[in-house]
Amino acid sequence: MTREVLSGNHAQSHAVRLARAQVISAYPITPQTTIVEKLAEFVATGALEAQLIEVESEHSALQAVVSASALGARTYTATSSQGLLLMHELLHWAAGLRAPIVMGVVNRAVAPPWNIGADHTDTMSQRDTGWIQFYPESNQEVLDTVLVAYRLAETAEVRLPVMVSEDAFYLSHTVEPVDVPEPEIVDRFLPPRTGHAILVPGTVGRLGSFTGPDRYVEFRRELARASAQVPRVLPEVEEEYRRLTGRSHGGALPTYRAEGADAVLVTMGTMTTTARTVVDELRAAGQRVGLAKLRLFRPFPDTELRRLAATVDRLGVVDRSYTFGASGAAATEVQAALYRGPHRPLVAGFLAGVGGRDVTPAHIRRMFAELLGPADPEPRWADLAPLEVDVHG
Amino acid sequence: MIEIRFHGRGGQGAVLASELLAQAAFLDGRSPQSFPFFGVERRGAPVTAYARVDDRPIGVRTSIVTPDVVVVLEPGLLRTTSVGDGLRTGGLLLVNSPLPPARLEAPDGVRRASVDATAIALAHGLGSRTMPIVNTTILGALARVTGVVSLEALGRAIDRYVPAAPAENRAAATDGFASVRLGDPAAPSANGAARIPFAVTVPIPEGPLARLPSSSIRTGSWRTLVPEIDERRCTRCNFCWKYCPDDAIELDGRGYPVLVLDACKGCGICAEVCPPHTIAMVAASEGP
Amino acid sequence: MAKLTLPAEEWMYRGHAACPGCGPALAMRLLLKGLGPRTILAIPACCWTVIATPFPTTALAVAVLDNPIESTGASLAGLRAAADALGLADVTVAGFAGDGGTADIGLQALSGMLERRTDAIFVMYDNEGYMNTGVQRSGATPQGAWTTTTPVAGTRRGKREPKKEIMEVVLAHHPSYAATANPAFPEDLVRKAERARAARGPRFLHILAPCPPGWRFSSEETIALGRLATETGLFPLYEVEDGVYRITRPYGTLKPVDEYVRAQGRFRHWTDAEIRELGAQARAGWERLCRRERETAAVARPPPIPLTA
Repeated sequence: MTREVLSGNHAQSHAVRLARAQVISAYPITPQTTIVEKLAEFVATGALEAQLIEVESEHSALQAVVSASALGARTYTATSSQGLLLMHELLHWAAGLRAPIVMGVVNRAVAPPWNIGADHTDTMSQRDTGWIQFYPESNQEVLDTVLVAYRLAETAEVRLPVMVSEDAFYLSHTVEPVDVPEPEIVDRFLPPRTGHAILVPGTVGRLGSFTGPDRYVEFRRELARASAQVPRVLPEVEEEYRRLTGRSHGGALPTYRAEGADAVLVTMGTMTTTARTVVDELRAAGQRVGLAKLRLFRPFPDTELRRLAATVDRLGVVDRSYTFGASGAAATEVQAALYRGPHRPLVAGFLAGVGGRDVTPAHIRRMFAELLGPADPEPRWADLAPLEVDVHG
Repeated sequence: MIEIRFHGRGGQGAVLASELLAQAAFLDGRSPQSFPFFGVERRGAPVTAYARVDDRPIGVRTSIVTPDVVVVLEPGLLRTTSVGDGLRTGGLLLVNSPLPPARLEAPDGVRRASVDATAIALAHGLGSRTMPIVNTTILGALARVTGVVSLEALGRAIDRYVPAAPAENRAAATDGFASVRLGDPAAPSANGAARIPFAVTVPIPEGPLARLPSSSIRTGSWRTLVPEIDERRCTRCNFCWKYCPDDAIELDGRGYPVLVLDACKGCGICAEVCPPHTIAMVAASEGP
Repeated sequence: MAKLTLPAEEWMYRGHAACPGCGPALAMRLLLKGLGPRTILAIPACCWTVIATPFPTTALAVAVLDNPIESTGASLAGLRAAADALGLADVTVAGFAGDGGTADIGLQALSGMLERRTDAIFVMYDNEGYMNTGVQRSGATPQGAWTTTTPVAGTRRGKREPKKEIMEVVLAHHPSYAATANPAFPEDLVRKAERARAARGPRFLHILAPCPPGWRFSSEETIALGRLATETGLFPLYEVEDGVYRITRPYGTLKPVDEYVRAQGRFRHWTDAEIRELGAQARAGWERLCRRERETAAVARPPPIPLTA
């Protein structure tokens, strides 16, 4: 193991190198670009033996890895924002063909107006495509999650594509120390992809095909079944990763000081780190607050949320994107998951950090204050109103 | 409510027949509904369309699986398609056929009617020998044996919605109305089961790969004409084999062409390209 | 008994769902005779999506991967990269796309694949319109042709713009091999498929594929019309290898275009003057092609460009 100061993007590139991806295809888009630049360097220097395809669009980037995956190659691509939106059609193809692709997505706002700040609108608007979605909060978690993603994606019962997201700039361009495991360790965790080359040259077989109403639904049902295996398989895979590297990131919904809390904030991505610090601070001041990180958004961790709901009366859910005509995607999904369970705490939705706006400790403090105040489930924009204290205080 | 299912071939006008029926029923002051089943819309391939007529707005939007009436525009479909599926006891099977109703195969307890719509349509210049347009003729027959629409409303619907030769189509409908024959319900057959054959079904394989050869699909049923090869004049040039888009011609050990009846769609290319003209296209019902 | 002039093996199964007399069906049958069983075929949304028959059956005796209509070029890149990464030797990676999936919505991915020197064969079967969806106009529809979206009604007389010259677009990318072919000339088509298979780098075949329902002609005339398309000079057959042109058809003088036009319902509204104009265009195109053949005959071949996916 070596310890290096890496950006989130380069943590992603190192993970792909360690995973020994065989076919990589991508198109430049800020702030994702440095992932692929680093991979190109690895390929050029021989640190990674892979076919690198410099395509002419994101649509083609994903098509190329879908096709490569159908022949049995381990594949990787990365994108962001508009690029992910252009890929939308192929996202459905990747999941529908059961291609175990891993894709890095740097979460960035969607135009107009042009904005390259952190925002989850890009990935949230892909949540119905059948992909597994992770939202790490640190560069270490990015690296580890990419490796876990390959094992999860290639597990026979799952065989689904995975997105590993990074908040733009807060991860993509933030450098911090990262433990990079040795290749021999990763090779033990992630042996070469075998056993499910779907298309075999020289044999008869059509992948994709077409069906009428008589057969189509069975294909969709198979996809649903595969997705339903993730809650069982993920802990097994993460446990094996922990045994080899000593690190685990706590599954689909890791919690922090949530036991006996009056209110728990549910966060995604980088704002979790800030919120954790605020929880410590508020706990020290005698407030009983806690935190839950929505690390896995697809499949949605219903069971874990219901377990959490049994112990707390007020949940605040922070969304870094707005679903127009509704509210935040995470908030509405938490509400839906709990409505089907026996415990139904108050669930309040907060919208914060949209378009790269900082989510500061002061914002988090105010969210907790509102959450502990008069019960109000209405969603609110947490960072539109001016803060009464110094935002960085 | 009366539920009617049309079976025809791509290019024959089955979908238009179903729509025309709806238009005519509307002109009669009734509430119709009509829609096609979208499958493989190929010239000659089996096509299904549905129509419902009631005095109140139709409250269902599904395919028709238990029709009161089945209309078959092309008699060859009786051999290859399960046209009688779900036909209600006491229901009606109306077939474009020169045969008398008693000679039509039908599920038990189903009434049979026949009209020689091909002859009528051709007499009025509708369509060609290989692809007669029989939809208006058979609608005239349907109006007579079911009363679901009036002949007068059908005529007006034809005037408004048939793109070509409305006068000829109206006359064909009138002739269909006049000449349809209604027979008795089909008696239980010897084995007690409906004798209408079912479509070829194939087993569902494991996994997402389609790998069963399509040669199990009998596209030969699409044809209205079939090649007849005069081996005595054949020069064994193999042009017919070379140009066949359906791979429906094999060469025997001596180099003579052998027709693969299950696959031949009757396009006529082989007859057209044959240098010594030893291949003739004959009506499928008379050919091999 | 005449000797077979084509390989006897069939890699297309009978029972497929093409219309009677289908040009694209014959094009596929002949193409696969040239490409052989070690082919991986990328097929976008097109007539062949349906012709190949629904799951679980297939009309193709090779490995096939479906893709959306616009991304065939990218699919070829991915298949080639994976084949190379996995050490799958002697695999022929080929795409089979309609004119829309090649020259309209598929153009970007095609251009990307050609520019990157992807070692694969892109085949465009040209039935001159969106025929699977019921005959709509594409960029490859000829000028003056009726389609459901270019009606002959009021002041309109079919498609107003000329057919997109896809070979010119492709040749601007300097492919290692490009050719036109026509199922009415099976030996020529199969030979070009074999040549394409033997070459390396980006390769392109433009196959004319007459469509009886779309062009409005009777199904038995597919071959006759295909022959006329080439013999009139409207669709000459040629190949370009490393920039050097070679015409393979027609021989001798061009036939008049009248018979070709008059046989098709999509041109039913044409006047004699319009037919004469088309004849002039055919001759001009033919002369341009003959000139290029003469001019490039003496040109030395450029050094080969290294291959990537």
